[in-house]
Amino acid sequence: MQALAIPDAENLHARRPRFWGWVLLAPLVAWLVAFVVVPMVILFGYSFCTRDDLGRVVFSFTLENYGRVFDPIYLRILGRSIGFAAVTTVLCVAIGYPVAWYIARQPERIRDKLLLLVMIPFWTSFLIRTYAWIAILKNEGLLNGMLQYVGLISAPLPLLYTPAAVLIGLVYAYLPFMILPIYGSAEKLDNALVEAAHDLGAGPMRAFSEVIIPLTWPGITAGMLLVFVPAIGMFAITDLMGGAQVPMIGNVIQNQFFRARNAPFGAALGVVFTLMFVLAYALVHRRASRTR
Amino acid sequence: MSTRMIRSLVGAFLALTLSLAASAASKELNLFAWSEYVPQSVLDGFTKSTGIKVNYETFASGEEMLAKLLAGGTAYDLIQPPDYIAEALIKNKLLVPLDYKKLPRFKNLLPAFLKMPHDPEQKYTIPYMASTVGIVVNSERVKEPVTGIKDLFSPKYKGRIVTVDDGRELVTAALYVLGYSLNDINAKNLKEARPLLAQWIKLIKLFDSDSPKTALLNGDVDLGYVWGGEAALLWNENKKFIYVLPKEGAHQFVDVLAVPKGAKNSDAAHAFIDYLLRPEVSKIISDEFPYTNPNGEARKLLSPEQLANPASYPKDTRKLDTFRHLGDSGAMIDELITDLKNAK
Repeated sequence: MQALAIPDAENLHARRPRFWGWVLLAPLVAWLVAFVVVPMVILFGYSFCTRDDLGRVVFSFTLENYGRVFDPIYLRILGRSIGFAAVTTVLCVAIGYPVAWYIARQPERIRDKLLLLVMIPFWTSFLIRTYAWIAILKNEGLLNGMLQYVGLISAPLPLLYTPAAVLIGLVYAYLPFMILPIYGSAEKLDNALVEAAHDLGAGPMRAFSEVIIPLTWPGITAGMLLVFVPAIGMFAITDLMGGAQVPMIGNVIQNQFFRARNAPFGAALGVVFTLMFVLAYALVHRRASRTR
Repeated sequence: MSTRMIRSLVGAFLALTLSLAASAASKELNLFAWSEYVPQSVLDGFTKSTGIKVNYETFASGEEMLAKLLAGGTAYDLIQPPDYIAEALIKNKLLVPLDYKKLPRFKNLLPAFLKMPHDPEQKYTIPYMASTVGIVVNSERVKEPVTGIKDLFSPKYKGRIVTVDDGRELVTAALYVLGYSLNDINAKNLKEARPLLAQWIKLIKLFDSDSPKTALLNGDVDLGYVWGGEAALLWNENKKFIYVLPKEGAHQFVDVLAVPKGAKNSDAAHAFIDYLLRPEVSKIISDEFPYTNPNGEARKLLSPEQLANPASYPKDTRKLDTFRHLGDSGAMIDELITDLKNAK
C-alpha cells in the first residue's frame, strides 16, 4: 500500500497519460464507449426482458432467457462451433507457420512482395471471395471439372455444402490472421540463436522445438486468438458454403434477432458467449504471465 | 471550451441539420423494400417524372424488415412487407390508412388480390407482386413425376434437394402432408410435424432463401421447394425446370406496399405507389422479376411467353391460402427447426 501511495515521479509519468494523452485517446475511447460499451449494456439489459408478438422488447424482468441458453440444444451447437473453430485454428497454424517462417527468412525485397501477396485478398470483399469458392467447389465447378478432365474421377465429387467446404472456407478466410502475427515473431528471431543451437549439438527437430517454437510463441498465440475467437461466431460461411445445414452459434444468435422475433433470448446468448470469451482470455493470459 | 459554449454549438448544429432535413423531406422518399424486387429503371423513372429522389433500402426477409422497422433507425415513408407481417402491423396500429384520392390507378388491380385476409377492408395496403411456394424439378435429371411434397421428400432424392431456409415454410409443408390448414400452428401440431420434418431435413442438401435457383442452375441439386418467382426465373433460363404447386396443399404470398406510422413524406409515398400502378411501369417490374403481377392492365402488356410461365401464372385453379399473423409462434418454429438441423 505504501509503495503505491508514494510512487516515484518517473513511474507516474509512465503510467498516467497526461492531458494530451487523453486528448489523443479520446476518439478511441469515444468509439469504444459508443460501439462496444453501450451496446453491451443494452444487450445485458435486454437479456432479462420479455417480448411481444411483434418481437418488441417488453421491460419485465425474467431469467427464462438464461434458462434456455443452457438447454442441451444450444450447448450442442456451441460445442460444434467450438469444434469447427478449433480445427480451423490447428489447420491455420499447420499451414500458416511454414509460410510465415519462409517469408521471414527471405531477403527484405522479396519479403515485402510475399507479404503483399498475403494481403492482396483483403482488397476484395469477403463475400465475393466466398462466392468464388462456391464457383470452384460446385458440382460443375473448376475443381471437379479439372479432376474429371485429368481423369482422376469419373463423376463429380460432392464438395460444396459439406462440412469440408465449411472448413475450407474458414481456413481460407482466417489464414492471413495467423500468418501475419507469426511472421512478426519469426522476422525478429535472431538467426544466431538457431545457429548456436546447432553448434551446441541440437538437430533440426530439437532446434525447432526448443528454440524456434518458444521464440515465436507470442506470434502463434496471437494468431490463435485472432483465428479461434472470430471463427466460433462466423455464420456467413456456414450458410453459403455449408448450405445452412447445421446451425452454428452465430446463426442461432442472428436468427433470434431476424427470424424468431426473440431479441431477449439472442441477447442472453450473446452475453453468455461474451462472458465465456472474457473468461477464457483471462485464463490464458494468467497462465501466460505465470510461465513468464 | 466552456460547457455553455459546447451546448450552444451543439444546439446550432442540431438546428442546422433539422432544417436541412426538413427542406430535403419533400424531395425524398425513404423506401424500405425487398432486395432485387424494385428495378433501378423504375426508381429512375419516378425521379425523372416527379423530381423526388428515392432512397431504396433493402431487406432479405419479412422478419428482418419487421425488426429493423421497429428498431426505428430511419423514418421510412413506404415499406413493402409480406401479407402476414402487414397484418401484424395493422393489428398493432403501426400503419397509416391510405388516401385513395391520391391513387387514381388503384382500379388497375385485379379483384382477386384485393380485400385479402391480411387487410380485409383494403384500408392500409396495396398489393405489389404475388407468388406461390412450390416444387421445382430439373426434368433432365429426375425422370419420375414429382407432384407433391411427399414425392419430393423421398429418400431416393437424398442430397439432391434445396429448400428455402424458412422454418415456417417447412412447417407449412408438413402441415399440408398431415392434412392441417397452413395457419394451424400450435404446440400439438408442431409435435406431430416433428418426425416428418426430422426425416426431410436429413434429405435436404441446401437451405437457401436468398437465391435457391443458383444451386439448381449450377447442377448441385435437382429438386427444390422454392419461391415461385425463383422458379419462374429458372424456367426463363431453361425449360427443363418444371414448377408445380404441391397436390397436398399450396399457398400464395402477396407483398404489399404500405405507409408506416411516423412516415415523413406520405405524399411522396402515395405518388410512388400510383407510379408503380401504371401499367407500363408494372410491366417493367414483371420483365425483370417474373412474379405474379396483380395489375390487370399491366398483364395485358405482357408477352404470351411471360403469361405462359407456369411459375408466374400457375394453371392450377385451386383457391390459394395465405399466411396469417400468428402471434409469437415464430420462436416455437425456430426452436423446432434449429433442434432438428442440429440433430443432423
